[in-house]
Amino acid sequence: MRAFLIYTVDGVTNGMVYAAVALALVMIWRATRIINYAQGAMAMFTTYIAFFVIEHGTPFWLGFVIALAAGLALGAVTERVLVRPVESRPALSAVILTLGLLIFLEALAPMLFGAQVQSFPAPFSRIDLTAGGTQLYFSRFDIFTVGSVLCVMVLLFVLFQRTTIGLRMRAAAFNPEIARILGIRVGRMLTLGWALAALLGALAGLLAAPVLFLYPTNMDEVLVFGFTGAIIGGLESPVGAVVGALGVGLALSYVSGFLGSDLAPLGSLLILMAVLMIRPRGLFGMTRQRQV
Amino acid sequence: MLEVAELTVAYGGVVALDDVSFSVPEGAITAVLGANGAGKTTLVRTISGLVRPRHGSVLLDGAELVGRSPESIARLRVAHVPEGHGIVSELSVDENLRLGGLWRRDRAEQRVAVDEAYALFPPLAARRRGPASGLSGGERQMLSIGRALAARPAVLLLDEPSLGLATRLLAQIMERLGSLVAERKLSVLLIEQNARSALSVAGQAVVLSLGRVVVIDEAHRLAGDEALRHAYLGF
Repeated sequence: MRAFLIYTVDGVTNGMVYAAVALALVMIWRATRIINYAQGAMAMFTTYIAFFVIEHGTPFWLGFVIALAAGLALGAVTERVLVRPVESRPALSAVILTLGLLIFLEALAPMLFGAQVQSFPAPFSRIDLTAGGTQLYFSRFDIFTVGSVLCVMVLLFVLFQRTTIGLRMRAAAFNPEIARILGIRVGRMLTLGWALAALLGALAGLLAAPVLFLYPTNMDEVLVFGFTGAIIGGLESPVGAVVGALGVGLALSYVSGFLGSDLAPLGSLLILMAVLMIRPRGLFGMTRQRQV
Repeated sequence: MLEVAELTVAYGGVVALDDVSFSVPEGAITAVLGANGAGKTTLVRTISGLVRPRHGSVLLDGAELVGRSPESIARLRVAHVPEGHGIVSELSVDENLRLGGLWRRDRAEQRVAVDEAYALFPPLAARRRGPASGLSGGERQMLSIGRALAARPAVLLLDEPSLGLATRLLAQIMERLGSLVAERKLSVLLIEQNARSALSVAGQAVVLSLGRVVVIDEAHRLAGDEALRHAYLGF
């Protein structure tokens, strides 16, 4: 029982990090029909920026905010410089460009920051809490991880569903041509969408680094697991992505806990295959009818 | 006033519009008629900036529209109701209506404009919170027109509003539109394949055939010219 609880908490905490990546992938997919393979590398890079400024005397939380801001900027620049010019080409061109960005960032990071594995500070203790002498199975850092991702998700939900800028972004994503003839500056909305997705990715990077350590490829697995979660969720559904990613987090935690950590990636593959065989559109996928 | 002058559009080597010139006066409906493939939809898409012409100009009260983006043309108060409604089916009815005037920034004014659209098309008010995908064909057309009007346009481009609509419903929509046209000094460009209905509401009509203007005349005279009706309008 005790082991089960530990693995469950672990799974949820990791799952929330995967969920942030999954949601970022879904946001970009919905807006531009592109899978951003560089999502993990972008998060790695912004985490390095935090690491760099903190090493040079910036207070931790300021460094944290700088990394999030860098995420926003990196997302916006990626859309403007890389994705926009190939907008009218087949979607594959943009996807290959994001792969290129992945390779570029993973090569650039060691040049700028060194290739060695760095330990990245956690903002809160990673030692499990105790309540009145009873050992709990989660730490302050676990609470922060789950809480901050939830918080950003709620903020994004409010932004998309309750504000006019969110309405514009949704219209631009669902039907760009109609949005344009209604006077919506679709290009700006897409830039903003990429920026927000990269912000979410940057948060995932900051939350993953204290656990995984920081090195140029530290987010590769997180991207794969987040991607798996997004696919399980149907790739279209933000809620599906979060549920899918939490499922992946839990499953991986149980597999590596009970069966051995070497089997974890295999477990992720098995879940993905199982879901895709039973429900090829993902758990939350639906047939969507688009009007031209 | 909207003035189209010497407009030529080609897709690759295929000429869709060839040296088209006419003007759309204020406070009246100008119908553009013609068979499938005559270039009617290309014409509205060019005016609203979705298609770049090879040659020619589109002037709105003297300001050149050719070369501007669709979003900036919309912001010059040109509203386009595209063929097949063009509603965003993933959004709610209310969200679709609000989209129309969103670029104008003035919140109170936007709400008034949206409420006017509900008053104009009461069936929409009953389905306000529902998804736009749940609307019938007629309601979708009302939504699309209501959304365009919510932007308080100076020019309204209507592309085949009769498509898939019951005659009675179309007549209702056209009647409501007709009273707005005079009231708000709207310039309306009405693209129609259903020539009979269009000629009954329009002031003047432009007949296109294979991308060229064949006739420009007052609507009632066109409706009375049997030879022309047979040749180009099919009734």
